Amino acid sequence: MADMTAKPNRGYRRWTPFWFLAPAVATLLLIGIYPTLFALITSFRRYNIARPREGFDFIGFDNYASVLTDSTFWASLGTTARFYVSVLPIQVMLGLAIALLLHKTGMGFLKALARVTLVVPLATTYAVVGLIGRLIFNRDFGVANQILNAIGVGGFDWLGSPRGAFTAIAIMDIWQWTPFCALIFLAGLSMVPGEIEEAARLETTSKWALLRYVQLPYLLPGLTALLILRSADVLKLFDMVFVMTRGGPGAATDLVSIYIQRVGFRIFDLGTASAQAILLLVLTILISRLYIRILYREVQ
Amino acid sequence: MTFLQLNDIRKNFGEVSVIKGVSFSAERGEFVVFVGPSGCGKSTLLRMIAGLEDVSGGAMSIDGKDVTYEEPAKREVSMVFQSYALYPHMSVFENMAFGLRMAKLPEAEIKSRVLEAARILQIEPLLERKPRALSGGQRQRVAIGRSIVRNPKIFLFDEPLSNLDADLRTQMRVEIAKLHRNLGATMVYVTHDQVEAMTLADRIVVLRGGLVEQIGTPTELYDRPANTFVGGFIGSPKMNFISATVEQADGARLVLNHAAFVGGHLQLPFAGAAALKPGDKVTVGLRPEHLSLDAENPVLSLSLDISENLGGATQLYTTGAGEAVTLLVAGRPPLKPGDKLRVGINADHIYLFDAQGLALRA
Repeated sequence: MADMTAKPNRGYRRWTPFWFLAPAVATLLLIGIYPTLFALITSFRRYNIARPREGFDFIGFDNYASVLTDSTFWASLGTTARFYVSVLPIQVMLGLAIALLLHKTGMGFLKALARVTLVVPLATTYAVVGLIGRLIFNRDFGVANQILNAIGVGGFDWLGSPRGAFTAIAIMDIWQWTPFCALIFLAGLSMVPGEIEEAARLETTSKWALLRYVQLPYLLPGLTALLILRSADVLKLFDMVFVMTRGGPGAATDLVSIYIQRVGFRIFDLGTASAQAILLLVLTILISRLYIRILYREVQ
Repeated sequence: MTFLQLNDIRKNFGEVSVIKGVSFSAERGEFVVFVGPSGCGKSTLLRMIAGLEDVSGGAMSIDGKDVTYEEPAKREVSMVFQSYALYPHMSVFENMAFGLRMAKLPEAEIKSRVLEAARILQIEPLLERKPRALSGGQRQRVAIGRSIVRNPKIFLFDEPLSNLDADLRTQMRVEIAKLHRNLGATMVYVTHDQVEAMTLADRIVVLRGGLVEQIGTPTELYDRPANTFVGGFIGSPKMNFISATVEQADGARLVLNHAAFVGGHLQLPFAGAAALKPGDKVTVGLRPEHLSLDAENPVLSLSLDISENLGGATQLYTTGAGEAVTLLVAGRPPLKPGDKLRVGINADHIYLFDAQGLALRA
């Protein structure tokens, strides 16, 4: 006899949501949370896999103490900071300029084409950007020197000189990330309701006033996200620089992530490297909080 | 003297022609309303006066100065948008002050102008609030205040009341009329609502398909519509149209033929009858409010479909020989569906249009 109280089977059980979420959660645990926890634990241990006989004891904050007193770590952090303040303003300004140009009315097809083109650098793998950089800035046949020769300035050894190498990796980073800034700002600009922009155009002829007082408030959330992403990104920027310069010449492009890689996988001192990585994570979070507090404003 | 002058203004969006040559002029202090159905180009025309849309052809001047290609902010016009378009991140005060700050007015002047506008619009207690903390009606006041403070040459209104509920709409309509009277400013107002057009306008411009159908005072448009479109658009409920055939036309008398007429004929005095000949098609326009049930000489024989009790008046939907005819009568006549009605009208209130829909004038 049929059970009249039974609900129709819609294929939905108590555990259904669990199974839908499980793959994502499992992946996250595996590649995100587990390594982080592993790094956190490792950072409190002596963990040099090249010297297994020393053992893997817990040594408290010793690793942190040695990192914080390591002048090379501070130097590499300084190089990273210098890199950050060199590229970011240019990326933001250039990105904003491109976004404003693309936001203008007219030339629909060219603008659509430009928007698609903007995605290309973003879709390029860091290592490939590094390879392209090595080709562009090659002393003998790179296109950068070709251009410099053509305009009569004379080429020079980009990747062989400290200043040249730093400039070269900065240019590549700007090439790769300016489009991202442009897209974020373009999205922000298109958030401004048309009638509000028009109301402002009836009150002022100044494009600057329009940008400063009407459009900027809509750009701030995007700018905040941008700064946070870029900060995190520059702090862990590795592949492109490693491929182009390996941190050299000397310590000219020795960003903190390259230094950590060296400590972890050349010296195999994973305990110290982990402590450095954790410190970097803390730094990233602090910077993010700071940006959110100072910049982030919802318009509506 | 002419204050706002539009001379054969045209607008194309790519291949599509939206405004097909509009000419018109307004005097200083006049309240002009653009009215027409959706897509007639009335908002585009207003936005062209504001400078927010480029002009594809023709010329435009404000206060004797050619502004055809002038930047919006240099035209000294202000605009109230349908969505109010307040700056969401600025307080009410800052919203109203923005244009003045851009014009680099001294702070004391800005303050006094904003406070004066706030007083006129009764929004003084709201000055520190952000737009999101205001109701629709309050936002509309702020938007109007933002216009007032700038003391513009022309106020432009783009369907400013259509986002408000019915009560508030009536109230704001009255306030805009008062504002016009008090400021004596030139105003151009776009609406699709013919009641707003009738009540606010000194002059109405009726637009359809990017062309002017008629320009005139509300009374002129109501009494002497240039064509069936204007006849049908101005007035509520809509004018009834009956397509009739001319049977006789001699001197000052016209006899028309249609099965809805009592006896199949309608005889009326018409000084312009000489222009017509038997067999011509004409459209007879009859306004619902001009038709009466208790006439001595009924002209229409109709059958009642349904009646709507409006309280003080009753709207009757009838048919006569296949033509739908609406009547608006006072009181609540004791009628039921299917009743035969004999309906009269004063001959002065009969509108005649030719086969092309253009008004036949005596």
